[in-house]
Amino acid sequence: MVEKLDVQQGTLALMILRTLQVLGPLHGYGVARRIEETSRNRLSLNYGTLYPALLKLEQEGFVTAEWRQSENNRRAKFYSLTAAGRRQVAREAREWHKTADLIAAFLAPPKEA
Amino acid sequence: MKYIRASLARIAGFFTGNRQDDDLRDELLGHVEMETAENVRRGVEPHEARRQALIASGGLAQAVEAVRDQRGLPWLENITSDIRYALRSLRHSFAFTAVVVVTLALGIGANTAIFSVVRGVLLKPLPHRDGDRLVYLRHSADVPGGANISFSVPEVRDFRAGAPSLGGIAEYSAWTGTLHGDNDAVRIDIGLVTGNYFEVMGLAPLLGRLTQPSDDGHGVPPVMVLTHDFWLKRFGGDSGIVGSRVRMDGTSVAVIGVLQPAPFFPVRVSALTNMVVSPHHLSAQMVESRDHRMTEMVARLAPGATFEQAEAEVVTVAARMHSEHKESYDPASRDRVTVIPFKEALGERARLTVWLLMGAAIFVLIIAAANVTNLTLMRGVRREHELVVRAALGAGVSRLRRLLLVENLSLSLLGAGIGVIVAIGGVRLLTSFAARYSPRANEIRLDATVLGFTLALSVALALVLSLIASIPKEGTFASISAGARRLTGSLSKHRLQRALVVAQIAVSVVLLAGAGLLTRTMLRLSEVDTGLRSEEVLTLPVPLLNPARISPAADAESKQLYERMRSEIKALPGVIEVGVGSTMPLRSSMIALEVKAEGKAPAIGEATPHADLRAAGPEYFRAAGIPLRAGREFAATDEPGSARVVIINQAMADKFFPDDDPIGQRIAWMGEVLKFTPFSGDWRTIVGVVGNTQDGGLDARPTAVVFMPFAQEFAVGGGLVIRADSNVAALAAAATRVVRRIAPTVPLENVLTISQIKDESVSPRRLNAALVSSFGLLAAIIAAVGIAGVLAFSVSARTNEIGIRMSLGANAARVQWMILKEGGVLLAIGLVLGIGVAFFSTHVIQGLLFGVAPHDPTTLIGVAMVMAAVGVVACWIPARRAAQIDPVISMRSA
Repeated sequence: MVEKLDVQQGTLALMILRTLQVLGPLHGYGVARRIEETSRNRLSLNYGTLYPALLKLEQEGFVTAEWRQSENNRRAKFYSLTAAGRRQVAREAREWHKTADLIAAFLAPPKEA
Repeated sequence: MKYIRASLARIAGFFTGNRQDDDLRDELLGHVEMETAENVRRGVEPHEARRQALIASGGLAQAVEAVRDQRGLPWLENITSDIRYALRSLRHSFAFTAVVVVTLALGIGANTAIFSVVRGVLLKPLPHRDGDRLVYLRHSADVPGGANISFSVPEVRDFRAGAPSLGGIAEYSAWTGTLHGDNDAVRIDIGLVTGNYFEVMGLAPLLGRLTQPSDDGHGVPPVMVLTHDFWLKRFGGDSGIVGSRVRMDGTSVAVIGVLQPAPFFPVRVSALTNMVVSPHHLSAQMVESRDHRMTEMVARLAPGATFEQAEAEVVTVAARMHSEHKESYDPASRDRVTVIPFKEALGERARLTVWLLMGAAIFVLIIAAANVTNLTLMRGVRREHELVVRAALGAGVSRLRRLLLVENLSLSLLGAGIGVIVAIGGVRLLTSFAARYSPRANEIRLDATVLGFTLALSVALALVLSLIASIPKEGTFASISAGARRLTGSLSKHRLQRALVVAQIAVSVVLLAGAGLLTRTMLRLSEVDTGLRSEEVLTLPVPLLNPARISPAADAESKQLYERMRSEIKALPGVIEVGVGSTMPLRSSMIALEVKAEGKAPAIGEATPHADLRAAGPEYFRAAGIPLRAGREFAATDEPGSARVVIINQAMADKFFPDDDPIGQRIAWMGEVLKFTPFSGDWRTIVGVVGNTQDGGLDARPTAVVFMPFAQEFAVGGGLVIRADSNVAALAAAATRVVRRIAPTVPLENVLTISQIKDESVSPRRLNAALVSSFGLLAAIIAAVGIAGVLAFSVSARTNEIGIRMSLGANAARVQWMILKEGGVLLAIGLVLGIGVAFFSTHVIQGLLFGVAPHDPTTLIGVAMVMAAVGVVACWIPARRAAQIDPVISMRSA
């Protein structure tokens, strides 16, 4: 069994936005499944984490939500990315790359002079 | 932008919460179903599939709560429901609520009331413009009555010239005058002031104008400024009084204005006038003699000057005075001048008493808070179950804390509300109490600052109460089975409760020790022998001679009037003896002069001896009940033309003639000041010695007194001493009528019996003792409730254990002893701690004690015994309850 990680503060929003960007409109279950799969089950999301995060994105205007029929004829709330959301993904991704590079540079084994 | 949008969404969410809840539930259930379906597809049996889905969700209730927090304004939303819930739960545990609220109300009420006094009397900014820049100069020396000997005009001039840091120096001289109305006359205290006085003090007129430098000097018309209180009292706040004229001591004086309300200093006065009102104050004697000290100095720091600069300059000027005018400063008397901030000078007499009461009130509040804390802790243990259930239903730790905070806030604010009502009653009482000590007592108010203090106090209390309560930790609730019944708190909480009980007892002991010392002071004081043999004595001061206009003719006339009054009052039924004298017994003489005895040189380095000057008629000693120790009393033959004789008191005899018989020896007045008095420095023969009397108050040491025959000297002061066989107070009206008939315009005030005069010394101490004692009692009662409560709780928590013990053979007595011991240990620790603290802290009230040492062992032991008795009774009640536990019932119910 793989060790499960808690979702790091601030990263969940980007994961959700990116998921919606890649897969298009999706319900909460779909988002959770996708994040778990992408993390190869290293992340576990409970509802108390996921749904407040979705609501927060909705309040900030990065996603919209509407009730629709799901693939197997069930009524579900679908979340989709807005234009602002798309811009936000790009911005946050850039920042993450920068941060990651920076941290990588720090963690790289020291070069022999 | 993102935040604005999110905030708007949240505010909208606050109002649409209920509709969205349904939505959310559908969404979450949909999630569970999709996950269940997925699990089933993977081959899990349907029931198990749903179970796994629910576990993975991490709790639907918690999720709903988390989303709600994100959605609306959870803070506002929860507060309203928290308040509603808190009030409901407090109503349900009514006994708890009542006890807590009453305890807090008493503690907060006492603090509010006393704090209003502290603020009004000590802290509030002065009404004077830039009152912080005002300083008072005090001239003192180690001679009798030398704590404040005032300044002479040449000394004031020295400071004006030598202390530039004092931007303005105003002179003030206490004086009394008789104000004649249309059909009465009142004696009023007035302040003679220089024209710059009000400018220096930074006071403004309410009506008219104040004195100014043009009102100084000779030949100017006499003018008067009324103080606000006197204007209201005497003239009914009539604004027409400004510009009119009043008659004072036979002179017409113009009323030029009414002063804004301001504290009186150094004494309460009715009016302030320019110096010309008293011819004496402009005389060469007054203006030129360095030893004629009748002036107080108030100064304002110059712009930019600091208090320290002023202090240094004043010390320099004083040192120069001492070296340049050696004849005026006795080196043995350690003559010195100190600078005191005016505000401190105003609060000086009140400070110790007021802070003592504030300390006592804070102690009461500490005990009350400890009690409430204990009650809350016990309730908290009983509520642990409830809190666990709430946590399991999705309430987060912060939510639970907030709920507790709201509950405690409701409690403390309720207590504060009632406390303020208590304080309103208390403030009225305390104002009259404070008026004895402070000229600022009329500034005592329950104003916004005081109420702010009360509010801050109650919020702080609520915060403390909420922090100590235990709350299930995040995540722990799952491990606590909801069905478990836990009545015992954790060990550490028990320890906290016990520590609080110990602290309560200790603090109560300290308070009771203070109360005990003050009570003993009061008792000691009322036991003091006044030196008079009887209390059936009435004193009737009748000041006939105007001190500013003494003449032989006026003197002779007034002596005739005194004699007429004396003989007519003597004829009243019940009167045994009537005497005439310059000063009433148990009142300090206004005149103290340097004195010498023939053939006795004072020891080198010893301050020049002073004695009080009094005059007495032949019957005075018998009427007052002052015992004759040796020689004879004055006789009718001690007339103006006959040999000059005096009678001295025991203190005087001990000082000058410790080894030989004073009768027949000669003494004389001396010193620079003598020439300003109508008394001569001739040798006078001692013909008698009388006992000491407590003229400076019951707590003062007897001073040396020289009595001169009333007939031989000017009748300054003047009054009648009346002795009756019983109920002398009833004679006051008849005696006053006689005086009124003979001298219709003389102001009659302070017509008092000896026991009333005595009470003037005792009653402030009685109030002190009563206030601190009531705080002490309150503390002891609250502490007793505290210890009983903690033990009762311990008993109820140990019911099961006690049942087991009893079924194993422990009898009722043994169980009772066990509980008593539990309380007894706390009691003993508290007592020892309290006595220890009291032993080291009571010296701070030394200044308020009389005839009892701060470490008085009798008081400390007595207090400990009282507290022990109260404590044992408090332990007894729960111990008895423990002994009555029925083992069968207690074990079955467990």
